[in-house]
Amino acid sequence: MIGEGSASMTQQQDPELLRLGVRAWLEQNVPRNWRAAMTGTGQDTFVRAQREWFARLVEAGYATPHWPAGWPGGGRSLAEQKVIYEEVARADAPRLILYFVALYHAACTLMEWGTPEQKGRYLPAIIQGDIWCQGFSEPNAGSDLASLRTRAELRGDRYVVNGQKTWSTMAQYADRCLLLVRTGASQPPQGGLTYLLLDMRSKGVSVRPIAQITGDDEFGEIFLDDVEIPIENRVGREGEGWAVAQSTLASERGLTLVELTQRMRCSLGRIAALMQERGCAGDQALRRDLGRLVAKVDAACALADRYLTKRISGEEAPGDASIVKLWYSRTLREFVALGLRISGLPGQYREDFTRGGSQETGNWAVDFMNSYNWTIAGGSDEIQRNIIAERMLGMPREPKTWTAP
Amino acid sequence: MSETLHQLRESARHVLAELGLAAAEPSTWDLVTELGWLLVAVPEELGGLGQGLSGACAFHTELGRGLASVPYASATLAIDAVCRIGAGRRADWVQRLTAGEYVCTPLSDSTQIARVAAGKLTLRGVASAVPSADKASHILVCSSAADCVALVPLDRAGVQLTYRPTWDSTRRLFDVHFTDVALDEPLMLARETDAQALCRALSIQRDLALAADSVGGAGALLERTVDYLQTRRQFARPLALFQALKHRCADLKTQLAAAEALLIGSLDRIGDSLDAPGAEAAAKAAKYLACSMYASLAEEALQLHGGIGMTVEHPCHLFLKRALLNQQLGRRPDCYEPDLADALLGGL
Ligand SMILES: Cc1cc2nc3c(=O)[nH]c(=O)nc-3n(C[C@H](O)[C@H](O)[C@H](O)COP(=O)(O)OP(=O)(O)OC[C@H]3O[C@@H](n4cnc5c(N)ncnc54)[C@H](O)[C@@H]3O)c2cc1C
Repeated sequence: MIGEGSASMTQQQDPELLRLGVRAWLEQNVPRNWRAAMTGTGQDTFVRAQREWFARLVEAGYATPHWPAGWPGGGRSLAEQKVIYEEVARADAPRLILYFVALYHAACTLMEWGTPEQKGRYLPAIIQGDIWCQGFSEPNAGSDLASLRTRAELRGDRYVVNGQKTWSTMAQYADRCLLLVRTGASQPPQGGLTYLLLDMRSKGVSVRPIAQITGDDEFGEIFLDDVEIPIENRVGREGEGWAVAQSTLASERGLTLVELTQRMRCSLGRIAALMQERGCAGDQALRRDLGRLVAKVDAACALADRYLTKRISGEEAPGDASIVKLWYSRTLREFVALGLRISGLPGQYREDFTRGGSQETGNWAVDFMNSYNWTIAGGSDEIQRNIIAERMLGMPREPKTWTAP
Repeated sequence: MSETLHQLRESARHVLAELGLAAAEPSTWDLVTELGWLLVAVPEELGGLGQGLSGACAFHTELGRGLASVPYASATLAIDAVCRIGAGRRADWVQRLTAGEYVCTPLSDSTQIARVAAGKLTLRGVASAVPSADKASHILVCSSAADCVALVPLDRAGVQLTYRPTWDSTRRLFDVHFTDVALDEPLMLARETDAQALCRALSIQRDLALAADSVGGAGALLERTVDYLQTRRQFARPLALFQALKHRCADLKTQLAAAEALLIGSLDRIGDSLDAPGAEAAAKAAKYLACSMYASLAEEALQLHGGIGMTVEHPCHLFLKRALLNQQLGRRPDCYEPDLADALLGGL
């Protein structure tokens, strides 16, 4: 559990003192004019900038506030974590998109399930800059993740993997991949899944970027052709992959949103600035919509806070993360839709987009398109609604009675 | 939440459940006073339980859950006001009001005007949405025009009560008319800047009380709705099996959780400093989100119940009517969203 025992194991700092420290550090260290520098650039320049920014954050101890005590930058209380994310958002520092999966998905999964050897090997490497991607989805296994078909066969001390993954964010830059594979034919299909850690430089791995509607290619396909993975790279037991994957998904759905909701709150200023710029700051209808959005964004921050509190105290219940994610994704869609509406016709003219910003960069058309990240990836809104209805409200599951006509 | 508050809250839920939904006002009021619920937010040094605003809101939530027909919000606002006045007169008033003497407070911004005529402050106009005013000894009046907060005895000449039956049968609202009623100096709670601060503090608490009532009512109604869908069968299956209905319930649950989190977040942010810069906006956001959530949840709940939801025996309509009224109480209802935008635009 992330953050467990944090209060007792590291000395706690007065959050307001920490705030001053973080603020001063950010003033000194956030790359000047990074937005301009990251607008209209290619992926490679962006990747270089991300590596540099990540290294600086690590050095200062601000890259891993959500990690438990005993790890560099970890062991922070709820209040401290909030202060760091608030200040990072306030300073409009670049977001660590390239390290997103490494810092959250990979780290949280390994903290919970990894053997001491796996933790000792992979977690320090994350801090040193290893990039991870997530290889769960397949062309025929999206929402129905458990139906995935990429096969791993145990031969001696290694698994041999064949199959295809898709939509894997940043796969083209990743050093390692969280790979969910089928090792057995058991029913229900969840029982036959196993969780592996794949070295992306292994023989038989190839990645093809996918062109996205924004003109970017943030995700890609991964083809796996007789790829060998040593058995010590298995997380959990064989057949336990589904349970391990739930940790990955919970971190993606809940924990990442502590930072993103703070970013969203700070980005409200972009809408206000846009209203001024477009000369409609006095428009009563728009003010009403903005006020409604403010309350929803505040609620998103409050939900993420409560989620983190529950997680730290070990009270997280099934569905809690889904609620945070669903509220965030719906609020984000409303946010960018309002931005797009106010930006008017000029907002329809094609403009270069900025890499490494929050979900609200002020290029409203691109922000609008990218907001689907949060309504589709990590389990779509509809899937979150199923989880909330079934696991929190106790409503029955869909009957499995359909047969092809 | 403190352990004490947690226990208080649990026992309140238990007691109210036993009493039943929307139980009669007199018996519920007796319970409220006997069990000391009016003391929850009163500071310990004044003989209260010292649970502050969060404590009060925990009770508003529970009373909202039970659709309680008591003027608890109105009473506790007045109690809070007398807790904030100068030490000289405070103890006596606190003692009287927490023992069950009821001083009522309007639940909406009213139009009464205090003015100085011939060297004396007099009151004229109407205070509206005053709960159970016929049971009260005094009314708490905040006059922004004259910058004063005062208690006015309801048996004073020139004060007249009009009962205004509402669709919400769990509350009894009155208009209180004032025709040149002289304000007594001994009953004056605050003047000028003190009065402005007190008015603000009262508005903040009223917003939070309405938000809490809404969160409580919405929570209870969602549970009932899901239970109903689990038991009602159509097409040879429980309605709860239909995904179209499951997803609507999940959305309602998410909206409820968000409003509740925002209420708790606002309470944390405000703490004991009702005069802190962000306090008003935090309370407005909580009130706006919770009351609009309650109204739309209640609207959906009735639809999800089908025909039975339109019958008077079924409690669905009680929640709906209370929710619709909550939305109209507090500040002028259409000011919340623009005010939140202003707070943002002004804070830049
Ligand atoms: C930007 C982005 C980044 C991503 N990054 C990664 C990544 O790094 N790694 C990774 O493994 N995957 C990633 N994904 C994949 C993502 O997890 C899937 O896209 C997602 O799970 C949905 O699957 P699908 O696209 O196959 O849609 P489908 O499952 O085909 O769904 C299509 C539509 O049907 C709805 N639907 C499906 N099932 C149900 C149901 N039971 N009830 C009601 N409605 C239903 C869906 O909500 C959706 O609206 C990413 C996706 C996006 C968009």
